[in-house]
Amino acid sequence: MNQVVLQALNGLVVGSSLALVASGLALLFGVLDIINFAQGEFFMMGAYVLWLVLGATHNYALGFVAATVVVGIGGGLMLQLLTQPLLEKAHVLVLLATLGVSLIVQQLAQNVFGGDAKLLPTPIEESVDIGPITYPVYDLVIVAVGLGLLAAGFFWLRYAKYGVWVRAVAQNRPMAAILGVPVPRVYFLAFVISSALAGLAGALLAPVTSVFPNIGGPVILNSLIVVVAGGLGNFRGAAWIALLFGEVQSLGSIVMPPVVVQLVLFGLVIVLLALRSRRKTVLVRL
Amino acid sequence: MLEVQDLHAFYGKSHVVQGVSLEVGPGEAVGLMGRNGVGKTTTLKSIAGLLTRTHGRITLGGAELSKLSTHDRARRGLGFVPEAQAVFSEMTVEENIRIGALIQPRAEQARCLEAAYELFPILSERRRQLAGTLSGGQQKMLGLARGLCLRPKVLLVDEPSEGLMPVNVELIAQALKKATQDGLSILVVDASFDLVQTVCARMYAMDRGVLVGMYRPAEFSRPEQLAATFLGDRAG
Repeated sequence: MNQVVLQALNGLVVGSSLALVASGLALLFGVLDIINFAQGEFFMMGAYVLWLVLGATHNYALGFVAATVVVGIGGGLMLQLLTQPLLEKAHVLVLLATLGVSLIVQQLAQNVFGGDAKLLPTPIEESVDIGPITYPVYDLVIVAVGLGLLAAGFFWLRYAKYGVWVRAVAQNRPMAAILGVPVPRVYFLAFVISSALAGLAGALLAPVTSVFPNIGGPVILNSLIVVVAGGLGNFRGAAWIALLFGEVQSLGSIVMPPVVVQLVLFGLVIVLLALRSRRKTVLVRL
Repeated sequence: MLEVQDLHAFYGKSHVVQGVSLEVGPGEAVGLMGRNGVGKTTTLKSIAGLLTRTHGRITLGGAELSKLSTHDRARRGLGFVPEAQAVFSEMTVEENIRIGALIQPRAEQARCLEAAYELFPILSERRRQLAGTLSGGQQKMLGLARGLCLRPKVLLVDEPSEGLMPVNVELIAQALKKATQDGLSILVVDASFDLVQTVCARMYAMDRGVLVGMYRPAEFSRPEQLAATFLGDRAG
């Protein structure tokens, strides 16, 4: 019983941080119809920014804000300098370019910071009793921040002016433009939000894992699985599937080796896709 | 109000619109008529800025629009209600109308919703319904109501009566007529001569990418005459 509660909570930690990365990826696909393969490296950059800020100031709050802002700005620059010019030519060029950025950023991190794993202390050392187990407070903070941001994202998309515009552009770009929606500004916003979410997720998880150049690899792979299973371009779907993914992975590890759990997850995704292909509407964009 | 001079538009190698020049005065409704495939919709899309391969001079109230993006043209007062896929199908009726009003101040947005529901009460009854589940006629009403919420100076309307029952055509015609009485300029493409006669003060005739004449509804005593003039052998 203790093991089940512990793994369920671990699943929430994994799921909520994965949801931040994946929902950003889904948002980007919804608005620009592209997959950003550098999203995993944005996650890694967020972790390194926290490590750098902590080294200089020992201030976690500043580190989390800096990770979000710096990576968000990085995403915005990537859109303006690389993605936007290629968007007008061919989408496959954008895919290749983001893949290229991913490899370059990873190698740069290797050269600048070295290949060793940087360990960070957790900002909150205390633990709290939850039923039969004692659980780290910081891990609960990760869950709360992740779920809080996802809920805020949902309401923003539903009610805020720019949120409604993001959905409008995702559904019908020319129609949004003829209604005065500033499409290039919406592209920029989607890219910045998507990158910032990945950066924040990287920074949040850094104290409970470690920081190294390849940390984004599994993140982008799992995020892609989640985005595809949640419905490409579907913000809410990606968030739900990410939480489910985290739970299946954590709870599954009680009874199965990790490799088998991964196989089960792939199987579930295939079943989901098969079921969804029978529905009339595949893309539900919110 | 709206002046178009020597407008050209291309699809691939096809030169679809070949030097169209027209104007729509303040509070005036003007029709653009002709057979299918002569370039009427392409003309409207070119004016709205939806096509990339176009050239010519487009001015609105004296301000040059030709170099502006689609959304900048909309913000300068050029509205467009397209014929097909005129609604955001996965949003509710109310969200669709709100999008048209979002570039207005907040107080104006509330007034837009009220005006839209007053114009088409059926939209008020279905305000929480997804727009994609509305009937074709209701979607046309929604597209027009949303276009009006933009508070444009000139509204381009493409085939507003296409596929509608006569009762809905009448509703749309009355809505367009009221909008012109309120000072809106309209350029409308439609195959319904009843609608064009009800709404428009003038009509341009288009054939194979060029304008071939300009008429007034009073010059035709019966719709059949009008049809014969604009559709030639295909007139019923």
